[in-house]
Amino acid sequence: MTYLLVLLILVGLYIILASSFDLVIGHAGLISIAHPAFFAIGAYASGLLALDLGWPPLVAIPVATLLAAASSVLVSLPALRVSGDYLMIASLGFQLGLIELIKNLQFSGGSGGLSNIPPLVKGNVSPLTYAGLVLVSAAVVVWLIRRIMRSDYGRAVTALRDDETAAAMLGRDPIWIKVWVIALASGIAGYAGALYAHYFRFVTPEQFDILQSAALLTMVVVGGIRTTWGPIIGALLLETVPQLITYLNLPPNILGPAQGLLFTTLVLAFMFFRPSGLVSGSAAWRGSEPLEVVNVRRS
Amino acid sequence: MFEWPVISQILWTSLATTSFYVLFTAAFALVLKVNRFFNFAQGGVMTAAFYTAYAAVQMAHLPGWAAFGLALLVSALLSTIIELFGFATLRAKHASVLFGFIFTLMIAQFVAYTAALLFGTWTVTIFPSMFYPVTLVGGVAVSGWDVPAIGSAIGCLTVLFGFLRFAPWGQSMLAVADNPDLAGLYGIKTKWAYLMAMLIAGALVTVGMFLYGSRAQVQPMTSFDLMLFAVVATILGGIGSIGGAAVAAVMLGLVQNASILVIPSQWQGFLVYAVLFVAIVFFPRGVRLPERRARADATRQAPSNTSEQEG
Repeated sequence: MTYLLVLLILVGLYIILASSFDLVIGHAGLISIAHPAFFAIGAYASGLLALDLGWPPLVAIPVATLLAAASSVLVSLPALRVSGDYLMIASLGFQLGLIELIKNLQFSGGSGGLSNIPPLVKGNVSPLTYAGLVLVSAAVVVWLIRRIMRSDYGRAVTALRDDETAAAMLGRDPIWIKVWVIALASGIAGYAGALYAHYFRFVTPEQFDILQSAALLTMVVVGGIRTTWGPIIGALLLETVPQLITYLNLPPNILGPAQGLLFTTLVLAFMFFRPSGLVSGSAAWRGSEPLEVVNVRRS
Repeated sequence: MFEWPVISQILWTSLATTSFYVLFTAAFALVLKVNRFFNFAQGGVMTAAFYTAYAAVQMAHLPGWAAFGLALLVSALLSTIIELFGFATLRAKHASVLFGFIFTLMIAQFVAYTAALLFGTWTVTIFPSMFYPVTLVGGVAVSGWDVPAIGSAIGCLTVLFGFLRFAPWGQSMLAVADNPDLAGLYGIKTKWAYLMAMLIAGALVTVGMFLYGSRAQVQPMTSFDLMLFAVVATILGGIGSIGGAAVAAVMLGLVQNASILVIPSQWQGFLVYAVLFVAIVFFPRGVRLPERRARADATRQAPSNTSEQEG
């Protein structure tokens, strides 16, 4: 039962992460893959504030959330200068640089990780209560993103994604919109990181590497980019299906790679057989079409 | 610490170390230029090549040359599969950068997990011993690995640039890199050019992994770190310039290794990513020398020329 509840907590956290990631890469069209970096900032900041400074986790979590949002300016900065491939690689540099930084700093626990992070409240919270908290948080995040995307601001984000020049000519400030959307999504990721840290009470730099970026991207793409339900289904599917293999009672040295193989096979199969995702929004995964195709369609 | 013998030793060791980095970078830059994919699946080809060589030497007890030949074969096969079943499909569907990124990363992960399943997650080397005889040349310790490694890298790059500049197939690849539609109109078989780029890249990384795996320990995820160095060097060299990427790889390797003189060794990894971040924010078109920038500006002003015909 505890195993299932822990799995539920992870699913909830990944719903928060995938939905907020979709806000950046899907709705805003900013190809930044550094989302796990903000997850890391939230986890480490909250953990360190509680562990080293003795702050109550209930205070440390919102501060860590704000810190993750504020630090997002390091991704906003390249986003204001470059886009597409360059932004993807810049964000990758930021993420991997941050991981190296965490690995080399003594106060963050180095590459061994940060352990003994205090639980959310004194005396351990039951897995059931924590799962409830995480799932409620996930529901609020999904609702919030949906509401934002249907507001004037959301329409401005969409307009900016579709045609930045036209959006700017209509009086929208592209810089302000990009900075805010990245800050909002990063803050949400930081919140998820803080929740993670105070439940599992141990974080290591490797948990936030490029493979985590790939996992989150996959959840969004397999679920359905730019949709409300897509990231939810993506997180649910890709967190639970590889776990099914644990019931085969394989030895640990085979279990890990076997789960990884199942995960990658599932993703590759979806990419080629259902590229628009389980919840089809739009053909958002498509890049630019050749000019002739566009012209033919317009005529 | 700043005495000449120390500096010359670090410079020599750095130069030897960059031999495989240059090959990984040239391979990555070539596929990015011709196939127009950030090919993180190269990590998968590297893993496959290494473990093939490892299995051939350590398990089947084959000689080194036979192991190298088998590794070349496997990397060629994997590169062909990635191009024909992956990139060709993504190209036909006009897939976005993001989609290409996920695909290539998933392939690399798939190969890494397969290697972990077959060979375990502990570190291994191609040959039982990593120790090579050392000769003192003018106060600099030169190992038996250094000279063949540097020679292999220089040889491979010479052949690559010669092929791109003088061979008809190489020129076809550059034409496809420049404008695939126009190249197709001129009768160039674009599919062959894409496949050729992947095969050459596969061969380059096989040589690189053979060098790396005969000097350092490897586990299934090692190629990710090696790949990221290639990505950084490619960006620094300027996307579309294989020569620039190769030079950037040498410079970056030298800076990274020589940084041990001024910063603790554990910060060497951080240095690479910090350079990448700064380079993208401030030099998104790569770091260019003044002459080259002037030439590029002139090229841009000429309406008939759309891009550099540089290998």
